[in-house]
Amino acid sequence: MLRSTSLRLAVLYTLGFALSVVLLGALTLYSTRAALSEQFDARIRSESAALTQEFATEGLDGVVQAVRERDRTPGALDYGLIGPDGRSLAGRFSKVSDEAGWSTIRARQRDDEEEPMRVLTTNLPGGYQLLVGDDEERIEALDTVVLRGFAGALAGVMILGVAGGFAFSRDVHRRLSAISGTAEAIIDGDLNRRVPARGSTDDIDRLAHTFNRMLDRIGALMESLRQVSNDVAHDLRTPLTRLRQRLEAAQAAPAEQGEAIDGALRDLDSILDTFAALLRIAQIEGGARRAGFRQVRLRELAATVVDAFAPSAEEAGQSLSLEPGEDPVIEGDAELLTQMLVNLIENALRHTGEGAQVRVGIGLTDRAPVLWVVDNGPGVPAGEHARLFDRFYRLERSRSDPGNGLGLALVAAVAKLHEAAVRLSDAEPGLRAEVVFPR
Amino acid sequence: MKILLVEDDKEAAAYLRRALSEAGHTMDHAANGREGLMLAVGEPYEVIVLDRMLPQLDGLAILRTIRSAGVKTPVLLLTALGGIDDRVEGLEAGGDDYLVKPFAFAEFLARVNALARRPPPQEMISALQVADLRMDLLRRSVSRAGQRIDLQPREFQLLEYLMRNAGRVVTRTMLLESIWEFHFDPKTNIVETHMSRLRGKVDRGHAQELIHTVRGAGYCLREPD
Repeated sequence: MLRSTSLRLAVLYTLGFALSVVLLGALTLYSTRAALSEQFDARIRSESAALTQEFATEGLDGVVQAVRERDRTPGALDYGLIGPDGRSLAGRFSKVSDEAGWSTIRARQRDDEEEPMRVLTTNLPGGYQLLVGDDEERIEALDTVVLRGFAGALAGVMILGVAGGFAFSRDVHRRLSAISGTAEAIIDGDLNRRVPARGSTDDIDRLAHTFNRMLDRIGALMESLRQVSNDVAHDLRTPLTRLRQRLEAAQAAPAEQGEAIDGALRDLDSILDTFAALLRIAQIEGGARRAGFRQVRLRELAATVVDAFAPSAEEAGQSLSLEPGEDPVIEGDAELLTQMLVNLIENALRHTGEGAQVRVGIGLTDRAPVLWVVDNGPGVPAGEHARLFDRFYRLERSRSDPGNGLGLALVAAVAKLHEAAVRLSDAEPGLRAEVVFPR
Repeated sequence: MKILLVEDDKEAAAYLRRALSEAGHTMDHAANGREGLMLAVGEPYEVIVLDRMLPQLDGLAILRTIRSAGVKTPVLLLTALGGIDDRVEGLEAGGDDYLVKPFAFAEFLARVNALARRPPPQEMISALQVADLRMDLLRRSVSRAGQRIDLQPREFQLLEYLMRNAGRVVTRTMLLESIWEFHFDPKTNIVETHMSRLRGKVDRGHAQELIHTVRGAGYCLREPD
């Protein structure tokens, strides 16, 4: 907890805040004190001026009268009227000096305690002196009030800062712990764990979402890797066994070796084909090829493929044609799209057999680029449509036909890479395969 | 023909050496990148065959080095990686052709031969001629014994490729790659079909056949003996 970044930040903030409170306090103290002593002096000065005026108009008796009167008023200033002989005529102050001006003296207060007093001496005509002063403690008392106020504020800031910091950092700490806890759980092998998000859009939640998306991606990659290993283990075993048997037979019967070697090479080529197709699907599912996307003119691409396959189809008593339509341009991988179309066409030609009429179309449906291949064959029961895209899945009736059961799996992988949807539907008769690209 | 093979798999190298010498070629073998680089820069070869993954010095690094040293010898890259990016990377580094392992020896030999006699790139030719078959590359017209032959654009491309490689074996995959840009092997016999149509137009009615099938390897267009 003490090592948490958020707590350290909170403490740092609190300290910074406290420091500014102290600075602010000092500044306030300094300026109130300046203002107060200004006020304090001004009061003494105006009082002296008033009494000097009194002396000029009412004479000595008037001033003595005034001083005595004021002396009796509680909360008033302190006074002293000194005769030319240095004796005190009225008030509590005795002579300070001959010079007029400000001085600080210690004088006995009403409560009999000696306190520092600030006194202004004014020389009156005829050698008289007027002293007006006040207890400096008044200023100091105000200082104390200001200081106490700021000390309270400082304590409040510290308490709130530290407490708030703890609360805030406990929250952040808890959320970060959830992330690192998830990572730890994943390290320990629980790949299904995900970081809980609060449902807000703050930075930690965004981090959690990114983290989860990354985990999903890694999970998908792991899954595809696992799938490939499983596929290799299960589905290459049969042809490899057949190859082994063929070679054993050749060993036993040297006379037929030439034929056996031809057969073995054919088997081996088909195994290598399957292997290459699996790797290719895995590579496509890995998604790295998206980096190489270029603009692809679908119609041009389809024309090349149809042009390549039409002659062989004709020779087999089949027909292959490209229907007229729009000419959409998409972002994609031309090589993979070509292979996808080739697989769809070969699939249609192979499973329809003689008399197949395969039509290829490129167009726009609701502004989305579409590629479709329709045949007039026996079609596929609707219940099997989805499974046709699984690796090695083959319909019962076509198990003995050539092919490795990977053609449509590759189609699905290429479509997914292009964020396109592949749909199979009944063309009545025949099968319609449709790849709808994003708009 | 003198060929340099840079390949760390000794068994594969021994097999290729034997097979190449049966085909009348001599081969030097470098088992690692450093040695390969020294030989490639120091000795005159007609073709260099370079494995992409080598100990010490990577195949592409060697390729870039010998190209920057001004060696123009054609290079055939061998690789276990068959992805489009790997091919593009190899060709961009200065490779001339690309063969994915495992391969048939016939395919290997056909590609080495095609590289060895590839004409220098600057040479501009406007017509190709094999025996009495003539192709005008500017007018895009073909005639045999003075008789005009009408070809579809794709057939023209196919014939041009065969004529440019006259006397040499071209394989199915070479044709798929260069004519249709299919870098995969379709199950359908599209090459055979196109080739038989082309044959029908080029050879039918002539005493001498020019287009020959080389069993287990591919096709060859050559002058009659």
